[in-house]
Amino acid sequence: MKEGKIIHFYKNRKIFFAISAAIMIIGILFSIFKGVVLDIQFTGGALLSYSYDGEIDENRAGDIATDILGRPVTPQLTESISEGTKKLVLNIAGKSGVDPLDQAELEKALKAEFPQANLELSEAQMVEKFFGDKFMKRGITALLLSTALVLVYVWIRFKIVGGLSAGVTAIIALVHDCLVVFFTCVIFGLPIGDNFVAVALSIIGYSINDTIVIYDRIRENAKLYSGYEVETIADLSITQSMTRSIMTNLCVMISVSLVYILAFANSIESVQSFALPMAIGSISGCYSTICISGPLWVMWKKKKGENIITVEKKEEKKDTKAKKYYY
Amino acid sequence: MKKKLGFFGVLLVTALMVYIAAFGIKTEKIKLYGAPDIRFGIDIRGGVEAIFQPVGIDTKPTHEQLEAARAVFETRLDQRNIVDREVIPSTTEGYIIVRFPWKADETEFDPAKAIEELGQTAKLTFRDAQGNILLDGQHVVNAKPDRDENNFPVVSLSFDDEGTKIFSNITKKLIGQPLSIYMDEENICTATVMTQITNGQAVITNMKSFENAQKLANQINSGALPFSMETKTYSTISPSLGTGSLKVMINAGLIAYIIICILLIVYYRLPGFVASIALLIQIAGQILFLSIPQMSLTLSGIAGIILSIGMGVDANVISSERINEEIRAGKSIEAAIEAGFSNSFSSIFDGNVTVLIVSIILMLYGSGSLASFGYTLFAGIVFNFIAGVTASRIMIYSLSSYKFLKKPALYTCLTRRVTL
Repeated sequence: MKEGKIIHFYKNRKIFFAISAAIMIIGILFSIFKGVVLDIQFTGGALLSYSYDGEIDENRAGDIATDILGRPVTPQLTESISEGTKKLVLNIAGKSGVDPLDQAELEKALKAEFPQANLELSEAQMVEKFFGDKFMKRGITALLLSTALVLVYVWIRFKIVGGLSAGVTAIIALVHDCLVVFFTCVIFGLPIGDNFVAVALSIIGYSINDTIVIYDRIRENAKLYSGYEVETIADLSITQSMTRSIMTNLCVMISVSLVYILAFANSIESVQSFALPMAIGSISGCYSTICISGPLWVMWKKKKGENIITVEKKEEKKDTKAKKYYY
Repeated sequence: MKKKLGFFGVLLVTALMVYIAAFGIKTEKIKLYGAPDIRFGIDIRGGVEAIFQPVGIDTKPTHEQLEAARAVFETRLDQRNIVDREVIPSTTEGYIIVRFPWKADETEFDPAKAIEELGQTAKLTFRDAQGNILLDGQHVVNAKPDRDENNFPVVSLSFDDEGTKIFSNITKKLIGQPLSIYMDEENICTATVMTQITNGQAVITNMKSFENAQKLANQINSGALPFSMETKTYSTISPSLGTGSLKVMINAGLIAYIIICILLIVYYRLPGFVASIALLIQIAGQILFLSIPQMSLTLSGIAGIILSIGMGVDANVISSERINEEIRAGKSIEAAIEAGFSNSFSSIFDGNVTVLIVSIILMLYGSGSLASFGYTLFAGIVFNFIAGVTASRIMIYSLSSYKFLKKPALYTCLTRRVTL
C-alpha cells in the first residue's frame, strides 16, 4: 500500500508561530479597545428580562425602572429568530442585586404601564458584589489548579521524552487555547463568567488530551527509531496522529456548533455564550497541538543540545541520572 | 464460539442500558429511574435559586442559628406545598442557599414576592386551643433535642426570666389542656400541659423520632433568632425559558449523534460502526448516572454530556486509526486489532486521566452549574473507559471472527501509514 509523507512541521514552525502571534495581538488589541466584559456573576449586578407581545416603548420601560429602582437602567429589546418570542431586557447599573420587593413593585408598574403587552418575568439575575468576587476567585482557582495538576501528571508520565519539556510545552499550548477562548469572548462581546470557566476547563482537558496523544507517539517512536533526530521523530509523530486530531475535533465542533446554531435560533443566550467559544476553542486546540506544542518541544530539546533521542528499551526504568547519559 | 457471541453480548447490554435509560424500571422490588424521572435543575424547569444572608447581626450566625433559619425556610416552603426543594446552610460562610422550582401552571406565582417572604423573621407564638396568643417565641432561650430517662426522644426548652414567669402562669391555667406552638400561622406542635412549670425548663415528650425532635427544636429556635434573612443574590428563570433551552440541547445532541455516527461509519467502516454502539453505551450510562441517584441535570450538565461524546469519539478514533495503520503495515486483521488496541491504550488512558482531573476539580470548586458540568463530564469519562475501551474491543474482536467480516477493507480508512 502507498505510504504517506511526513509533513515538516518543525521546518515551518515560524509560519505557525507567526499565525498564533498575530491572533494574540489581535486579541490583545480587542481587549484594550473593546474592553473585557465580565458577567454580573463575577462583578455583581442586576439583570431582568420579561417576555411580551406586541409593541413596547423600551425607553419608557427603562425610565419607569430607573424611577422605581433608583439606579440607571438600560433597556433593550430582543427577538428570537425561530419562534419570534420578544423580550424586554433591563440592565440595571451598579454592582449589587435588587431587593425582591423592589423587583415585585417594578413588575407591577410595568404591567400597569403596558397592559396589552402580556408581560411575564422570564429571567432575573441578581448578584451582590461580595458573591461575585467569591465566584470569580473560585473560577480562577479551578483554572490554575487544574493547569498545575495537569502539568505534574504530564511531567511524571512522560519522563522518558524529558518530562518537564513535555509538560511545559503542553502548558504553553493550553494557555494558547485558553487565550483564544478568552479573545473569542472579548471579540463577540460575550461576558466572562461561569460559562467561560467551564469552556476554558474543557478546552484544557481537550488540548492536553490532544497533546498527550502526540507525546505518546513520540515516546513510542523514540523507542522504535532510536538514533534519529528529535525533529524527525516529532514530525513523524505529529503526522501519524494528525488525522486523529482532526477527526476528534471535527466531531466536537459538529456537536458544539449544532448547539450554538439551535441556541442562536431560539435566542437562548446562556447556551450561546457557552457553545461559541467552545467551538472556536476546539479548532484552536487542534491547531495548537499539531502546529505549536510539537515544534516547541523540538526547539526546547535542540536548545539543550539534545539533537538525538536514544532510548533503549531496557533503559526505560533506570533513574534519571543514568538516562542523561543516553540523551 | 464465545468470541463470536461477544458482539451480541455487548449489544444486549447496550439495549438493556438504553431501555432503562429511556424508560426506567419500576417494579415492587427494584426501582431504577430512567430519563423520564430525571431531576432537572432550576435552569431547565424554571424556579428560584437564592443565597440568603442574615441582616441585623455583625458576627457570623452560629450553626444552631442557621439550622433554625433553615427550619423556617423548610416550614414556609412546606406551607406553599413546594416539596421538591433544596435548603443548604453553609456554617463556614454563614449563608443559606435555597433552590425551589416554580411550576409552569402556577400563573399566580410571584417569585420575587416568594423570595421576599421566605427571608422574613419568623413569628413564633405559643397559643391555647382557642388560638389566643399567650407567649411570644422570643422568650425561648434555647430548644434542643434530647432523650428522657427511658431513652425516648424529647425536645427540651428553656425560657428567659420574663418567659419563665409567663410560662409558669400559662401552665398553671392550662393543666390538662392543649398548648400549641405556631410558626407564622402554621401549627407546628400541640402538646398537653401536664403540670405547672415554674423553673422555665419545659420538655415536650411523645416525639416520633430523634429527627422529629431535632426538626421541632430548630423550628422553635427560630422564634428567638436575632436576625432576618435577606437576599440580593438570586436568580429566577421562568419555566418556559428553561424548557425551551432543554429542547435546544436535546435536539442538538440527537442531530450531533447522528452526524457523528455517519462520519465514523463512512470513514472508519466496521470500527466506526462499533464506535457508534460504544457511544450509545456511554450516553445511556451517563443518563443512568444522573437518573438513578436523582442528581439534578442542569443545562451545563447537558453541555458536559455533549462534550464527553467528543471524548468518547476520541478513544474510538485513536484505536480505529491504529488498526488501520497496522493493517497497512501488512499485519493480519487479528494481529492488527490486537496491536491497534494495545498501542492506543496508553494515550487514551493519559488523555482521560487529565480530563478526569479537570472534572473532579470542577465538582469540588464549581458552584451550581459548574459542578453539574463536572459531574456529567466525570460520568462521561468513566463510561468512556467502559465503552470506548472495553466494549469496543470486545465487539471488534467478536465481529472479526466472522468469516464474511474478515476483509481488510472493512478495517482500513483513508489515512495513510507514515514511517521513516
